[in-house]
Amino acid sequence: MLQKLVGGLLLSGLLIGQTTANPQFSVIGDLVIDQLTQSPALSSSGVEIAIQGYVNPFARADVYLHKHNDESPVELEEAVITVERGLPFGLGVRAGKFRPDLGKINKTHAHLFPFIEAPIGMTKVLGEEFYAATGLEANWLMPLPWYSSLSVGYFDSGIGGQDHKNEKEKNGKDYDLYEMADDFLPEGLKDKYEGFDKVITIRQSNFFDINETNHIEFGFSLYGEHEKNFGGGDFKYKWKPNKYRSFALQGELIQFELGNEHEEKKVHPNEVLIAGYLMANYQFKKVWNMGVISEYWQFEMADGHGKNSAIFFGFSPVEESSILRLKIEQVDDGKDKYIRGVAQLIWSLGPHKPHRY
Amino acid sequence: MRKIFLILTILSICFGKVRVVTSTTDLADIVKSIGGDHVTVTSIARGNQDPHYVEVLPSYMFKVKKADIYFMVGMELDLWAKFIIDGSRNRKIEVVDCSVEIEKMEIPTGTVDASMGDIHRYGNPHYWLDPKNGKLIAQLIAEKLTKAEPKNSDIFQQNLNAFNLQLDKAILDWENRYAKLSGKKLIFYHNSWPYFSNRFGLETVEFLEPKPGITPSPAKLNRIIQRIKSDKIEVIASESYFSDRAPEFIASKTKVKTVKMAQSVGAIEGADSYIHLFETNLKILSQAFGVEHD
Repeated sequence: MLQKLVGGLLLSGLLIGQTTANPQFSVIGDLVIDQLTQSPALSSSGVEIAIQGYVNPFARADVYLHKHNDESPVELEEAVITVERGLPFGLGVRAGKFRPDLGKINKTHAHLFPFIEAPIGMTKVLGEEFYAATGLEANWLMPLPWYSSLSVGYFDSGIGGQDHKNEKEKNGKDYDLYEMADDFLPEGLKDKYEGFDKVITIRQSNFFDINETNHIEFGFSLYGEHEKNFGGGDFKYKWKPNKYRSFALQGELIQFELGNEHEEKKVHPNEVLIAGYLMANYQFKKVWNMGVISEYWQFEMADGHGKNSAIFFGFSPVEESSILRLKIEQVDDGKDKYIRGVAQLIWSLGPHKPHRY
Repeated sequence: MRKIFLILTILSICFGKVRVVTSTTDLADIVKSIGGDHVTVTSIARGNQDPHYVEVLPSYMFKVKKADIYFMVGMELDLWAKFIIDGSRNRKIEVVDCSVEIEKMEIPTGTVDASMGDIHRYGNPHYWLDPKNGKLIAQLIAEKLTKAEPKNSDIFQQNLNAFNLQLDKAILDWENRYAKLSGKKLIFYHNSWPYFSNRFGLETVEFLEPKPGITPSPAKLNRIIQRIKSDKIEVIASESYFSDRAPEFIASKTKVKTVKMAQSVGAIEGADSYIHLFETNLKILSQAFGVEHD
C-alpha cells in the first residue's frame, strides 16, 4: 500500500514536472535526389533530432542529435548550455559541444541552406559537417551605439577530426589539409604535439539597420590551432519589406594557412587555402524563392582550385514545415567540368524548422 | 555654462524616463497614453507586419538592451520575443505578459498538433482587438510603470483614468453609431478577429485560410465562392499584411466587396492610435456593408 502510494506520488510528481518543464522536441528529415541529369540516386542524410528548452530562468540548453541513414550510431552534433540572462556587462556564455561563433555559415545547420549543400570550399576549411567541438565561448555585447558583439572561444579539438565517414567518402575528399598536417609531422614531434590541438576562436560582428526593411551585417573571424590558423570576413545584406518578398545577399571569404615550422624546423611545406562563396536569394512569393550561388577555392601548394556556380529554387507549400528545393550546378573542380542537379525534400516535426535563409 | 546646462537637460530627459519596448504597436500606443512624457517606447513589430512571424534581428536585441520593461502580447503570438530578450543580455528588464488578465477566447480542447495549422494552445491571442481588453492592458501597464518609477505614480494613474474615460466614451459611441453592423456576416482572411467580432456583433462565417497560417488553396477558394453565392456574403476582410490576390480573385467571381482592416496601430492609414484603430476598422466595415454611420 505504502509502495503504491509512494509510486503514485512519484509518478504524479514526474507528470507535473513534465508539464511544467518539458523541452521542445523537433525532428528534421530529408530525401535527396542527386545527379538529376545523369543517373538519379536517392539518398537521405538521416534525421536530426533537436531537444531545446530552458534549464532555469537564466540558461537554455540545445541538444542536436544526428542519425545518419546507415549503420553508424547516433551522433552528438551539439549539446550546449547557453547563459544569456543574468550575467553582467552584456556577457553571454556557451559551454559544451557546439558550433563556435566562427564566420557566418559555420553556425548554420545544413537544412537551413537554401542551396541544399554547404559551399564545398567552406567544407574544405570547416570540415564536411562544419566545425563543432567541446569547449567554452564567451560573447560580449560591446558598448557601442550599434549592435556589435565579440566572441572568444576555447576548444579541445580542431576542425576535421569529427567528420562522418560516409560524408567524407561521398564527397571524395582527396586532399585534406588537416590530415596532411598530421601526416607531415615526424614521429618524434607527433608525440610531442599529441593533444596539442587546442583551439582559440575569435569573432567580431556588427549589425546595422539601414531602415525598417533593410539591414546589413558584417563580421571578422580568426581561428588558431597549433600550426593551423585562418582568418576570414563575412557580410550579409537583407531586404524584407513584407512576408511575401525578401532579398538576401551573403558572402564569406576565408584564408587558411598551414604553418611549416615545428620547434623552429621546417618539417613540411606551407599550404594556403582560400575559399569563399557569394549567394543571392530572392523570395518572390510567400512560398517561393530562387537564387544563385558562386563558390571558389584554391590551394596554393597543391595548385588545385575549383569553382562551382549554381541556381537554386525553394518551395514551401505549407508554412515552413516542409520545403522542396532544387539546385542545378555547374561544377568545375579543376579536373572535370560537368552539370549536376540535386533535389531535396525536407520536412520537420516541431518548432525547429527548415526555413528560407 | 550653457553647454553644461544643455548636457544636464539631455541627461535628465534620457535618464528620468522609463524605457519600454513592446512586441506590437498597439501595446506601444497604450504605453504612450499611460506613460506620456515619462516613458520612451519602441515597438519591435511594425503595425503592418504579421505579428506571428517577426525575424529576430540583432538590432532588436540592441533596442531591448537598455530597456526597463518589455511588454509582450503572450499566448504564443510573439514567441520570437524571448529570443530578442535573451539576446539583449539585459538582466534588469521586467518582462510582462499582457494577456494575464484577459478572458481568453477559443482555447482549444483535446490534442493540439500541427495538423490543425498554426493554432495557439492558450486561445486566440488577438485579444487587443476588443477595446474593453484595452482597459485591462492599460491597467497592467500603469501598474508596471508605477513599479518602475514610483515617483510618477500619480501621473500614470491620472493618465490611466483619462485613457479609460476616453475609451469608455468611444466604445459607447461605436456601439451606437455602428449598431447596424451587428449581425452582419463576413469572411475574414485569418482568424484575428473573434474579440473584435464579439464586441461589435459581427458574424464570421468562414476564413480564407483553410487552417490558421495555411495559404488558401484553389479548392478552398472555390468552396468560398460557392458559399458567398449561396449565403449572400457581402464582405471579405483581411489583415493589412496579406496579399490581395486571393480576395480579389474571389471578388472577380462574385459581387463580394474586399477590404483591408488594421490588425494593429499603424497597419493602414487612419489607424494611428489604439482608439483610431477601432474607429478606422468600423468605418471601413460600415462603408463596405453600406450601413449608415455618423
